[in-house]
Amino acid sequence: MTENSIAMTILIFLGVAIIMVPLGKKLGLSSVIGYLLGGILIGPFCLQLTGRDAADIMHASELGVIMLLFLVGLELEPQKLWQIRKRILGLGLSQMLLSIVGIFIVFYVAGFGLQKSVIIALCFAMSSTAIVLQTLKEKNLFRTVSGESSFSILLFQDIAVIPILALLPFLSKSQKAIAQADHEKVLLHYIPEWLQPFTVIGAVLILILLGRYIFIPFLRFVSRSGLNELLTAASLFLVIGVSELMISIGLSPALGAFIAGVMLANSEFRHELESNIDPFKGLLLAVFFVSVGATINFDIIASKPVFIFTAAFIVLGIKAAVLFGIGKYYKMNNEQSFFLAFALSQVGEFAFVLINFSAGLFLIDYQANSELMAIVAITMCISPLLMIFKEKILDKRFIKQKSEENVELGIIKQRKIIIVGFGYFGSTVGRLLKANGIRSTVLDNDPDRVALLRSNGFNVYYGDATKPALLRSAGIEEAELLVICLDDPEKNKFLVDYVKENYPDIKIFVRAKNRLDAYEFLNKKVDNIYRETLGTAVDMAVDILKENGMRKYTARRMGKRFMIIDKAMTRRLAKEKDENMVTFTLRETLEREAQLLALDSISFEENHWSGDDDDDK
Amino acid sequence: MKKTLVLFAHPYFEHSTTNVRLLECYEAMQNVTFRDLYEDYPDFHIQAFRERKRIVDYDRIIFHFPIIWFGLPPLLKLWIDEVFDMRWIAEGQHNILSGKDAVIVTSVGGSESNYTREGKYKTTAEELLTGLCVSLDINNIDLKNTHIIYNADNLEEEQLEDYCKELSQILNTE
Repeated sequence: MTENSIAMTILIFLGVAIIMVPLGKKLGLSSVIGYLLGGILIGPFCLQLTGRDAADIMHASELGVIMLLFLVGLELEPQKLWQIRKRILGLGLSQMLLSIVGIFIVFYVAGFGLQKSVIIALCFAMSSTAIVLQTLKEKNLFRTVSGESSFSILLFQDIAVIPILALLPFLSKSQKAIAQADHEKVLLHYIPEWLQPFTVIGAVLILILLGRYIFIPFLRFVSRSGLNELLTAASLFLVIGVSELMISIGLSPALGAFIAGVMLANSEFRHELESNIDPFKGLLLAVFFVSVGATINFDIIASKPVFIFTAAFIVLGIKAAVLFGIGKYYKMNNEQSFFLAFALSQVGEFAFVLINFSAGLFLIDYQANSELMAIVAITMCISPLLMIFKEKILDKRFIKQKSEENVELGIIKQRKIIIVGFGYFGSTVGRLLKANGIRSTVLDNDPDRVALLRSNGFNVYYGDATKPALLRSAGIEEAELLVICLDDPEKNKFLVDYVKENYPDIKIFVRAKNRLDAYEFLNKKVDNIYRETLGTAVDMAVDILKENGMRKYTARRMGKRFMIIDKAMTRRLAKEKDENMVTFTLRETLEREAQLLALDSISFEENHWSGDDDDDK
Repeated sequence: MKKTLVLFAHPYFEHSTTNVRLLECYEAMQNVTFRDLYEDYPDFHIQAFRERKRIVDYDRIIFHFPIIWFGLPPLLKLWIDEVFDMRWIAEGQHNILSGKDAVIVTSVGGSESNYTREGKYKTTAEELLTGLCVSLDINNIDLKNTHIIYNADNLEEEQLEDYCKELSQILNTE
């Protein structure tokens, strides 16, 4: 195959992804498998559409992995990390150590040599974040015991990649590799010799300082311009900039991206950054997986099929056994332990990165590199099948234990809440919730207000909430309550329509300007509508009644009764006009007022209750 | 079984253990409507007309509440004040409550020996319920049973089980 132009190569890579991923989905396979199969298809052993440049493309698209680590960092708010620290440390460390030891022993005994066995064990102990997170999302398991444990283990592995990446060069005794690595460390030459050992610590400290004093003010400055594409450019600039900076001082770019992510996890731009970077990460990871598929060497598999498949199954077996044991040790039931064992037993995409990295350091040769890659790919392909096996066969035997998972503790149940709009209205809502210890995620698009609120400890993020991407990265998929408090009624209506259509299970609380807005929301089947003019106006009227000599208690009761009747009538009038409602003309509005006034004189008559009787439980 | 309305009033229900358990007795029963007054009227604005309209449908009312500071929970007292009508008990008037049955289920923190003439409080729990009993009596409501649970704050699981059985029995007798 002749060398293609860049555009042509990208066309082929993306084209095969577009075809293979939906096909894989149909068969119940995760998208990663789809990409890998696509890569195999276009690779030199099938259609031969890629030239020798597949490896180079893989190198280039490793930026996707860097972005993945940046996003992982963004997810890791220091406090959140602190809350689940024991779980992460306990589950993660035991999984890593036991798997590494197990795999090391097997490969060492099989005669792979000390250094090679260590590298193999380190690589194979990793599980696939992409596959497992996908599975958790698809099966909606994030809040279950097994889901949380899986997440903890993955998190630990994600963090463990960084020291491993940093340590691998020290394993390498090859002067050539070190010289080659040194070649890229441009900045390092300007640092005095005696300072060089401290570069790691120095770099991390510099990044932390940069994150705090440069990145956030920089993003605030950009966001004030109000141009969305500028913020996207700034996000990309940050990630790529940090990774280049790290390369130039001879450190892992992934480590840099991760630290930059953690530093920004606490900032108001977290969700905006997430929604900006995510498409690029997805795209690059897709290309990365496809190129991994394209570089799998089938000649090697064909030459040693027994060895490759035995190794793959042994690795799967060791990891599953370790995970099941850990599940049992942490007092999970059989169903949960089986989930852990089957979901996390595959070798993950970080292994690709680590293997390539090791090969670059001449720690392993090309032959071993291809063999290991093939083993990883095979375990990844088997993993979805294991999940199907677990669901179809094992769950039937352990189904009785499922109900245990749903036991709720305590009376107040923290539900995931998103508040959209944090002006005078929304902030009152948020403050009352916060005063009662109920946490919520807040979205607002005034950078100055966001900065102010954040310094007061609110969980506020900057962005335009009418953009679906921002809602998604704020976690709308897992949210249970959506509180819409935007100033502009049209935006509120747009959000209600969008959320009702895409996430019908979320309970919506919406701010309405007036009665007319309320009619529309009622007809959109929203139950919790808050007219900003009702409560305050009634309060005022109650006080005026008091001024006229009415007893305060009686005045308050009259106010309450008025509210109930008014709400009931709003419901009724909304229903009546439902069919032919387009917009209200001024005259229609007046007609409605007249109707209301007429109804008032009836319903305030003693013993003549005309409120809507059906709407109470 | 008679069509039954349970009026449950507990201002501090989130701190109760005994009543949580007792309420389970109602779940399994047929023909029972359970109403948690503090959930229905958190702002103490009782909709009297609605309550009156509804109460006609039931043959039996169960008043279920804790005794707090030796009296009814204020919302239950308010409910009675708002819903019961003096005109109903006037000579020659039709009383919609007449002929209904009632059961009182109540819990107290103190022990049974404290609630005696000679005990710490020098009064019995039944005496604390006098106002409610008279109100029922004057409306010609037949109070079938008063079920008092002492020491409600620290009951063993077995004792709770017994109380629940007793309550179910009372509910099922008529």
